[in-house]
Parts: sequence; C-alpha cells; structure tokens
Amino acid sequence: MNDHETYETLAAVYAVGALDGDDLARFEAHLAEGCDRCEAIVRESREALARMALAATPSVPPPDVRAALQARIDAAIRPSARASRRGWLTWAAATAAVVALAVMLASGIVASRYEAQLGQIARDTAKEREQLQRAEATLRTQLAALELLRDPETRVIELRSPSSNALARVIWNDKAGGHLLVANLPAAPEGKAYELWALGGPAPRPAGLFQVGSDGRAAQKVEAGGEPAKGFAVTLEPAQGVPVPTGPIVLASK
Amino acid sequence: MTTAGEDLIRRMVAGDRDAFSRFYDRYSPLVFPLILKIVRDRADAADVLQDVFWESWQGAAGYDAQRGTPEAWMIMRARTRAIDRIRAVRRRGETFVPPVDEGLAPAPPEPGGDAAERAEDRGVIRTALETLPHAQRQVIELAYYAGLTQTEIAERLQQPLGTVKTRIRLGLERLREVVRRAT
Repeated sequence: MNDHETYETLAAVYAVGALDGDDLARFEAHLAEGCDRCEAIVRESREALARMALAATPSVPPPDVRAALQARIDAAIRPSARASRRGWLTWAAATAAVVALAVMLASGIVASRYEAQLGQIARDTAKEREQLQRAEATLRTQLAALELLRDPETRVIELRSPSSNALARVIWNDKAGGHLLVANLPAAPEGKAYELWALGGPAPRPAGLFQVGSDGRAAQKVEAGGEPAKGFAVTLEPAQGVPVPTGPIVLASK
Repeated sequence: MTTAGEDLIRRMVAGDRDAFSRFYDRYSPLVFPLILKIVRDRADAADVLQDVFWESWQGAAGYDAQRGTPEAWMIMRARTRAIDRIRAVRRRGETFVPPVDEGLAPAPPEPGGDAAERAEDRGVIRTALETLPHAQRQVIELAYYAGLTQTEIAERLQQPLGTVKTRIRLGLERLREVVRRAT
C-alpha cells in the first residue's frame, strides 16, 4: 500500500463518518492541502451511502411532524414578517416624517434666511437708493446753486440768528430763484417746521418750508416769486406752513 | 440542469412555505426510514425528522448543488442528527442496541411517474449492499447506521483497526461502483 492509498482508505472511513483520533486529524490536514482524488472519493462515497439509505422502502412519517413543522415555520415567519412589515412601515413613516420635517425645516430655514437676507438687501437697496437720490438731489441743487453763482445778477444774502450762531445764506437771482443753505440751526420741535419768507414786497412772501437735519444743516431750492426780493427771514411755524408769519423769527437778513 | 428538488430549495431560501411543504412531502418519506433505522424509536425518529427539516428550512441557503444532490444533502443531515441522538443516549449510559434490519411501515404508492424507475434503482442498490461480503457490509452498517467510529468498530468486532479500515474502503468501492452503474 503506497502512501496515497493510505489516504484513500482514510477517505472512505471519513465518508462513512467513522474516522477518529490521529487518523482524522491527518486526513483533514491532507484534505486541507487540496487533494482532488480524496475529495472525489469522499463525495462519491457519501453519495453512494445516501443512495443506499434512500434504497430503503420509503416510510411516511407521523403526520403530526408535518403539522408541527408548519406551525413552527408560521410562528417563526409570520410574527417576524408582520413585525418587520409593521416595523418597516413604522420606520418608513417615521423616516418620511423626519425627512419631510427636515426638508420643511431646512427649506423653511433656508427660505426664511434668504427671505430675511433678500428683505435686508431690499431694505438696504431702498435705503441706499434713497440716500443716492438725496445725494443726487443735493448735488443737483448744489450744481444749480454753483451755476446760479456764475450769473452776475445773483446775490448771496446772509441770514443770522439774533440769539445763536445759526447761519443761513440764500443764493438769490430775481429771475431764476435761488437756494437756501442753512447751518447750525437746531431741529424744529415736533409738529413744527421752519418757513422761509421773501421780503421786499408789501408783505412777506412764503418761500418754502424746510426741516433741519441732525447735523443742523438744510439745503433747499427757493422758487422765484416775480417780485425782486430784498431780504429773507425764517420763522418757526406749524409743520403744514402758514400764509403769513405767526411764529418767532429764527433767522433774518439785515 | 436544475432538478425539482434544487428548485424547491431555492424557493425555500426565498421564504416560500409552499415550497417547503412540497419539499417535506417529497423527502420526508425518503429520510424517515434512515432516521428510524438509526434511532430505532418512532417518537425519537419523529423528533429528529422535525429537527432535520427545520434545519433544512433555516439552512436552505447553505445547499450547494456542486457538492451533492438534494437527496444526499437531506440524507447527510438526517444521518448526522440521528447519530447525534443515539450518541447522546449512549452518553447517558443506556445500552446500545446494534442495528438490525426490521420491517418499517411501508409507504403509500409514490406520486409521480418515476416511481417504478426509482423503485428499480432502489432495488439495484439495496441488492448491492446485500450482496457485499458480510464483513464489509457489517462495518459499513456499524459506522453509518450505528455511528460507531473505526476504533469502536474494531473493539466491538475484536478486529485490528487496519482490517476495519480496509473493509470499509473495499465495501465503499463496491457501493460506489454499483451506484455509478445504476445512474
């Protein structure tokens, strides 16, 4: 008996389930090394033994085994299937809810954040546009005032306060009208406005209402009134203005 | 080529209970005689049968057609579980009764057109085992049906271990040859 025949013998004993002790360890090591011949012997021997066992006359087992197995499978499958289906649905519903909530929150947060940003941008833009418009208006006024100063007919009339260092100048042209520039004048009290009066006619002519900024300044165009103006005065009047001066004189030309 | 048995096992892997019922109906009458022959008690055999099929349901994914037919797969499981049962009984100190061929409840006629053909194969293979020299048949039966190891067989038969091994090898060579010719 050569060496491999020994293994072939062990293969047969292994196939019938009778190998033990050192032989078993030795043969399993041999199989682990990968012996096609021995593997084939084991497989074919087992198949032959199975055929031998199957060659016995078939015998129907007690019917309660079938019933017991079906009950066992039902018990194993159904509750877990139901549970897992319910679990899946619960999970799916919960997930969907969480996702929906997350989307809502996220989109809500994003939307509100963007809305807030857009709103802020819109407000900033409006404010800047307003500031720009004011700056442009101021610039136009100042350019017009400068332009007016080129005219030989144009005079600059100074108005002073009897009690403070407030000062105003009117760049005035009897034909084109003029511009009022104010400095160091306190803001008018609530419900009040300053009113400019053109003097020189039979009575003071209303030449426009104005407010003063926090910087104490004001700049305003003054319309020409037909009659040549000899001087100007500013009084503190009700905010809507009055046709004839009623309040105290704040500034006046000499 | 896929056999009906392989197809049933594949469906069992997918959790098909009906496939399992058909698998049981097909294979339980084939493996039950083996279990009964090994454990020799009908109630014990019924328990083992239930365990074997329960394992087949749970372990259907482990079936590999490359390594054997569904019949061989189930027979291997049935034999292993049945031997486990009698070894446990033996460990509890109960007297081991050597296997004896005895009359089993005959099965009702098998459904399907291949019944006669199968019965013919069965006859050939059963005859093959019966025509083995008694010494070879004895060692194979003690190993396969009684679950004795080569050492236990040698002790029981008062034979050298090498003789037992050789008898098993020669007996299985013969059996393989018969199966090869029958298929």
